[in-house]
Amino acid sequence: MSSDIIFTDAVEAKEVKTTCPYCGVGCGIKATIANNQIISVKGDTSHPANLGRLCVKGSSLSETQGQNERILNPTVNGKKTSWDIATSHVADKFQEIINEHGPESIAFYLSGQLLTEDYYVANKLMKGFIGSSHVDTNSRLCMASASAAHKRAFGEDLVPGCYEDLEKTDVIFMVGSNAAYAHPIVYQRIIKAQKNNPQLKLVVIDPRATATSDTADLHIALKPGTDAYYYNGLLMYLADNDKLNSDFIAQNTQGFEKALNTARTQLNDITAVAVACDIELSTLIESYQLFANNKKVVTMFSQGINQSSTGVDKGNALINCHLATGKIGYEGAGPFSITGQPNAMGGREVGGLSTQIAAHLHYEDPGAIDLVERFWQAPNMTTKQGYKAVDMFQAIDEGKIKAIWIMATNPVVSMPNANFVKQALKKCDLVVVNECFENTDTVKCADVVFPATTWGEKYGTVTNSERRITLQKPLLTPPGQAKHDWDIICNVAKKLGFEEAFNYQHQSDIFREHAGLSGFENTYSGYKAEEISDKPETPQGVSRFFDISAYANITKSEYEAFKPIQWPVNKQHPTGVARLFTDNIFNHESGKANIISVLGQLPKKAPKADQLIMNTGRIRDQWHTMTRTGRTAKLMSHADEPFIQIHPQDAKRFNIADKQIAQLNNLDATFLGRVQYTEQQRIGEIFTPIHWNDNFSAAAKVSALVNPITDAICGQPEFKHSPVKISPFNAVWSGCLITYKTLKVDTDYWTKIRASNSIKYILSDTGSLPTDEMFLKALLPDIDDWVVMKDDKSESIRIAGFQDNKLLCFFNASTNLNEKYSTKFIEENINQTQSIQTRFKLLAGIDSDAEDIGAIVCSCFQIGENSIKASIAAGSCNTVEELGKQLKCGTNCGSCIPELKAYFT
Amino acid sequence: MFSSSTSKAQCKPSLVIVGNGMATGRLLDEIITRSPKRYTITVIGEEAQGSYNRILLSTVLAKETHYENIIQKTPQWYQDNDITFISSTRVTDIDRSTKTLTTETYHNDNFSDISRAQLQYDELVLAVGSRAATIPAKNQNIEGIFSFRNIRDTQNIESFSKNHKNAVVIGGGLLGLEAAYGLASTGVTVTLIHRNKWLLNRQLDLVAGDMLKKVMAEKNITFVLGEEVVRFDQLMNANNKASLSGIELTSGEYRKADIAIIATGITPNSELGDCCGLEVDKAIVVNDYMQTSDKHISALGECCQHKKSTFGLVDPIWKQCESLAIRLTSLHLQKFKNAPVATKLKVSGVQLFSAGIVESSEKTQTFTLCDNNARVYRKLIIENNIIVGIVLFGDVSSGMDYFELMQNKTPVKMHMPELLLGAEYMLDEKIETENKVA
Repeated sequence: MSSDIIFTDAVEAKEVKTTCPYCGVGCGIKATIANNQIISVKGDTSHPANLGRLCVKGSSLSETQGQNERILNPTVNGKKTSWDIATSHVADKFQEIINEHGPESIAFYLSGQLLTEDYYVANKLMKGFIGSSHVDTNSRLCMASASAAHKRAFGEDLVPGCYEDLEKTDVIFMVGSNAAYAHPIVYQRIIKAQKNNPQLKLVVIDPRATATSDTADLHIALKPGTDAYYYNGLLMYLADNDKLNSDFIAQNTQGFEKALNTARTQLNDITAVAVACDIELSTLIESYQLFANNKKVVTMFSQGINQSSTGVDKGNALINCHLATGKIGYEGAGPFSITGQPNAMGGREVGGLSTQIAAHLHYEDPGAIDLVERFWQAPNMTTKQGYKAVDMFQAIDEGKIKAIWIMATNPVVSMPNANFVKQALKKCDLVVVNECFENTDTVKCADVVFPATTWGEKYGTVTNSERRITLQKPLLTPPGQAKHDWDIICNVAKKLGFEEAFNYQHQSDIFREHAGLSGFENTYSGYKAEEISDKPETPQGVSRFFDISAYANITKSEYEAFKPIQWPVNKQHPTGVARLFTDNIFNHESGKANIISVLGQLPKKAPKADQLIMNTGRIRDQWHTMTRTGRTAKLMSHADEPFIQIHPQDAKRFNIADKQIAQLNNLDATFLGRVQYTEQQRIGEIFTPIHWNDNFSAAAKVSALVNPITDAICGQPEFKHSPVKISPFNAVWSGCLITYKTLKVDTDYWTKIRASNSIKYILSDTGSLPTDEMFLKALLPDIDDWVVMKDDKSESIRIAGFQDNKLLCFFNASTNLNEKYSTKFIEENINQTQSIQTRFKLLAGIDSDAEDIGAIVCSCFQIGENSIKASIAAGSCNTVEELGKQLKCGTNCGSCIPELKAYFT
Repeated sequence: MFSSSTSKAQCKPSLVIVGNGMATGRLLDEIITRSPKRYTITVIGEEAQGSYNRILLSTVLAKETHYENIIQKTPQWYQDNDITFISSTRVTDIDRSTKTLTTETYHNDNFSDISRAQLQYDELVLAVGSRAATIPAKNQNIEGIFSFRNIRDTQNIESFSKNHKNAVVIGGGLLGLEAAYGLASTGVTVTLIHRNKWLLNRQLDLVAGDMLKKVMAEKNITFVLGEEVVRFDQLMNANNKASLSGIELTSGEYRKADIAIIATGITPNSELGDCCGLEVDKAIVVNDYMQTSDKHISALGECCQHKKSTFGLVDPIWKQCESLAIRLTSLHLQKFKNAPVATKLKVSGVQLFSAGIVESSEKTQTFTLCDNNARVYRKLIIENNIIVGIVLFGDVSSGMDYFELMQNKTPVKMHMPELLLGAEYMLDEKIETENKVA
């Protein structure tokens, strides 16, 4: 028999390289696949973003796979249907609305989790063919400020630096960034850099103390929203202490004098800055010195700065200081905006925002509209900016937008004033949603649902925070009738009559066209004069640095072998570019960067006396609205309930008890969360996580309390600062319910937690403690075998539900709100068969080390069969009397003696 | 007391024990283990056999075991221990001044051949037990109505039920339940009548009583609760004798029945003490050392009364035997303390444990556990942080631990409710879940 015959149908496991679906770091991973299952996931040592490392979310990706709760078929008005009928329905309705109300009544709301190819066809369809510029994305909620600040400063939305700069610098400033939780691998690289280079200094600027500030050399817990005052102060400090780079200012920037004078009008000296920012003067100066006295400084900034009503100004105030000292364009120096989502950058490259046309081309750039119109041969080219996210849903509410197509995002949970968004969608004539998982809050508002592929099935390119494009490859075959987003969009596009312009057969066709557009009539002056010889003398076109025209003729096989590379990638830079502005040339007419005059402004809505400022943000183990990370127990162990972090003094003022539930209110929306006293919180400010929503908790849609205040320039909402009311949640009882499936629980407070092989609900209610199993019977009608332990003063109750002796439900509640207990033992016993005699002991909730003595034979002395058999087996008892001496059985009333005798025959 | 040191070989003092039930059996064991040679011992018993285990009579009735297996003292045993056992004999008179008894011995079943005798005693012990309590029903002296106290009753019931298969048992206490279980096991259809709202109402509460009813109903015993028998109906049987045919209840309901067992409790036999002038109340009154009002006469078991209590359960009676044996065989004394006692029972295979109060009140907090399918019910009643009542049905684990906590008045509230599941959960502090959010 030859050795290659094997007797198993198991398939050779193969390894596929792709990227992680979560944050903007964009780590490369190697997935081992067999029989359409992800066996394991490891970090890809060859990928430059993470060099083999993975955070806890990335490494537990295989646990989040699985077909349950996936949308498998297109549905129209709740009824399953075919792709043909569903896409025709959408196309016809779009056409009907266009004919009646014009193309401007159609809107698309995209996501930083779409791949670049999905983004491109969506953007092209709307801005060139349907003729509506109302295409915005959830990146509006995280990156709009940074993108606008880059455009104002550099003339284009460009992130100059790369991750390597963090390892090759003297000082790292982290502003409004809790990278330890939000960008764990970048954070791990910083920690490693600190170890390798003890001189490296880390300064964290964040009102809140976080896991990131714990490892900082200097933590500046400034007053919320005063970042612009801090950086204007730094600009003044640099000028007053002769730390400027006057040559760089003269040759490569404009607007410095005006910006410095504007700053001085608001802050006459450094002590004024310390007062404005509410920080110690000595700390302020120490941080200024670190920036001023070191050649290599990287300033990493994230949502703390972006999600603000003056996010763009704050971004520019920060960039001004790098420009004023020339700390940009070389290794280890420069401002570094780190993106939230895995492909927010891809979206910005494609121009999938209502404020751009495409590929870094803007309506206000002369000739840009005409350029794109010709490239696309667009029949209905748009000519002006569209609605930004918050305005878009306002326009829906006002009936200006009649149809919206939402892809790969959950606005009913993540948008500010989220409950308003829900009502707006209910009024909209047509809501179309591309989604992979059932019953997200947004899917529940949809008229048409298209089943989309999710990570591990999608195939296309993503760009991470350091402009590195990587190909995300499919690992599994899509379930049911799920299709790629670009495929769905092209289907509808063809049905709208744009057959020829959307006839793509493969992702590479789209990527090739996207690359082509980036190079089409690109007159970027930064290229050395002699290199652009093939460009016509009188440069006709628009200058933009984003240029991946090296791929304008990429073949399918070259695309499939695509290696991670930082753009631009063109004739001049065939192998990509690590850092931009190494030649100090920027993309303004003048070739110079703009130093923007900025006046510090506090957040729009100041808190009233009885309010606290609510700051929102991420936690380490969850992603966005938990649609994927909520599926595995491991990621719930770090934090499993929505919480409110509050300073003990504020808690005392509003009589909020630690470890109990408290209530936040704003915009007649409510948030219920577990209170955590922490000194890490500034007085007057509280912190809540963004991840919980109606699927996981009673009232935890934190963004429903966020005022729809946005940055006038870029439309990014002020997520980091919402004045709210706080009040105690007067719980009468609290407890937990552990069972084998999801239930529709309706106590005042509940949170669903995925446990190892069961589902656990943490419950609390202001009504009276249940006195029997009736309310559980309603939730679990198929159980009628109940064990109940309670007391007649209704202080505590424990209930276990069985079916054929299998534990299917365990409920434990008490009016003692501080009662602590571990539920691990119960979680492991769900679905396990129990012995009928001892199953009631489960209600202790913990394992009992009591020895099982077996059925009782002698009642007087509680002697069980097992003990009797053991003594006889040990040979120490041959008669009933000896047994009596050793175990006492039969020596009192003697009525068990006949039974004892039986053991000897 | 007679002097123990004698010059010449004087014959030993004579100890006479009247009644040969379980108490006498235990008392003899206690005396023999201490000083077997001290007395010449004579035991006078009404029944033919040596003392036997009355609790097992129901298993004999149920044919789970035989009479000889429940005999605790065989004739051979008496011989081996030089004890004279005068069986089938009653004591009819005691002359305390001359310390002599008058006995009547029956040589056949119908009491036609009787012989009398006199017997001297130095120390006399009355252990004549009790008899079945009577019930105020009409027309009781007809054939087919039995009590269930001893071997003869059991034999009579056994033979009569061979051709009378429709039984009624009156009394829902332990004895009634045991009788009903015994009869039902042999295929007789049994109806049990009980005055109170639930069975074993002094040991169980409503829920546990109801559970016990369900368990016994599976042995096809039907129950009529909250009712009493007011009249026995009769018919003339083959040999022209009035024999039971049915019963009439307080509700007026009539039920057919051809055999009845009355097991509504016991009445102490105090007549013997009464007729010789001993102090008698509900039973023969004894002091802390089991002495009656005559210091040479003692009494114990179901016929004696100590302070205000009479006795029906084994535990306190065993303590009485110990106290009496110590007084009779040594110079020191040990008081009999009638401490509260836990009732440990096994009724038709179901374990029960009960102590202290059974019903909650305003002042108490009651913790209950109920597993209907497993037929397990456990209850602890707490007052001022100590256990004042225990009811365990189906699973009696930790019963003695709770009883000890109750007697020692140990504070238990902080261990509730887990303690109710077993003493093994008492020691663990509630596990602190670590503070989850970093």
